[in-house]
Amino acid sequence: MSKTLTVAETALREIARRRGVLAILVLFPLAFYLSRRDAHLGQSIRFVCLGLGWALSTAALFAGSAARAIELRLRLSGYRGHHLWLGRLIALWTVGLLLAAPYFVLIRVDSDNVRYGAIGLIMVLTVAVAAPFGLALSAALPRELEGMLVLLIIVGLQMMMDPAGSASRLLPFWFSREIGTYAVDHTDGGYLTRGLLHAAVCLAALLAVVALASGYRLRQRSHLRFVPRR
Amino acid sequence: MRQDTWLDALAGELRRHGVAEQTAGNVLAETAAHLWESGDDPLRAFGPPEAYAATVADSVRVDAPRRGPAGPVRLEVAGISKRYGRRTVLRAVNLTVRAGEVAAVVGANGSGKSTFLGICAGLVSPDRGEVRVHGSLGYCPQGGGTSDFLVPDEHFTLVGAGRGLSRARARDDGRAGAAALDWDPRGGTQARHLSGGTRQKLNLVMAGLGDPDVLLLDEPYQGFDQGSYLDFWQQVRRWRDAGKAIVVVTHLLNTRDGVDIVLDLGRHTEERA
Repeated sequence: MSKTLTVAETALREIARRRGVLAILVLFPLAFYLSRRDAHLGQSIRFVCLGLGWALSTAALFAGSAARAIELRLRLSGYRGHHLWLGRLIALWTVGLLLAAPYFVLIRVDSDNVRYGAIGLIMVLTVAVAAPFGLALSAALPRELEGMLVLLIIVGLQMMMDPAGSASRLLPFWFSREIGTYAVDHTDGGYLTRGLLHAAVCLAALLAVVALASGYRLRQRSHLRFVPRR
Repeated sequence: MRQDTWLDALAGELRRHGVAEQTAGNVLAETAAHLWESGDDPLRAFGPPEAYAATVADSVRVDAPRRGPAGPVRLEVAGISKRYGRRTVLRAVNLTVRAGEVAAVVGANGSGKSTFLGICAGLVSPDRGEVRVHGSLGYCPQGGGTSDFLVPDEHFTLVGAGRGLSRARARDDGRAGAAALDWDPRGGTQARHLSGGTRQKLNLVMAGLGDPDVLLLDEPYQGFDQGSYLDFWQQVRRWRDAGKAIVVVTHLLNTRDGVDIVLDLGRHTEERA
């Protein structure tokens, strides 16, 4: 566990020193929130959650890509694959929760007649899913530009596709719209259940992708054998 | 230049060149006596301390004591072949390095030196052959391998944790390794602000953390000045004397570097000193 926590601490230090990136991360969801603030507050709340997911996924994508070179040497220095990806995830989840907290307070102050507990739940689930989503993209698409373009496409689709359509359920943040409807429009608990189930499946699938990709990339090659010192 | 400044610089350069302490002391005493008696400007009498130390080191090199026999095998590379497309980069390459030996991997650009080291480190898969490492492995890549936004002490802590070292031990060992390369890593400069040569020193120190049995160094002196280059080979000799097996990819092999094995990937030969 100490190895995982060391990676997490180091990753947090790296993110904390990227002040420009941090500023953009903080302001990015605000732009989403303000874009529909006057017309439809409910839509603003849904958008700010998507903005959070987009911002954190992007941060995870770049963090994952930047770590590729040093991860190879860390693997040779005694780390296992799961120390590295889990440590990075813990750091990203921490950043995500810190990022989400002020927006929860904003919604709490700026709106009424919404289910605040459900809003908090969306934010926690969005943070939980967005971090492995970005890491999975960085694992599948090692070049940052390709990863960023795919991320743009997926989040763009997420905003444009009709959430009632079955195809939109394949997108990673569909649960956000579903639980958002429960929270804002006071619909029945079916929305909440479907959202929770979707988030759980997405999270499990993305964690599996990250773990498998990391395990494969950092595997010990079959030609190399370590034998005890004579 | 003042005599004492020049003599201090000469003492440092003699140390860098690996001149034995007693011999260096004698040289310094004779040089100081000459300067005292003649009153000459040291730069005019002996030239720059770096050049004079190199001349002294060359003249006393034959007196260097021979080391004992090498220890047990630490790295065995057998029948490694690798192709990229239609181009064969490595063909049935063999190499055995024992504890207390230094192997230099040489060859022209594109001869597969870095690929060979990557295969030894398990970062690249060969088409054929196998590698056996007896003990633990330290690896210094040609570039990369550091994190832009971390300071050197944090690099030491990170690598040290993987090796099972405490924070304090990793930091102290890292700083000691850096001092051997004439570099003080304190001060909290992030890796992205280090010069290319200093960043490679960081890479090299990280490779040696945790006392690995086998060290694989891929042209680690890129960006080093002449003094740092000499410090690097001094460090290699210290590792060798401590019983490490060291493989250095290089295209700047100097006869004074004193390696035990030369693997020439251009000519497909392995020669022992």
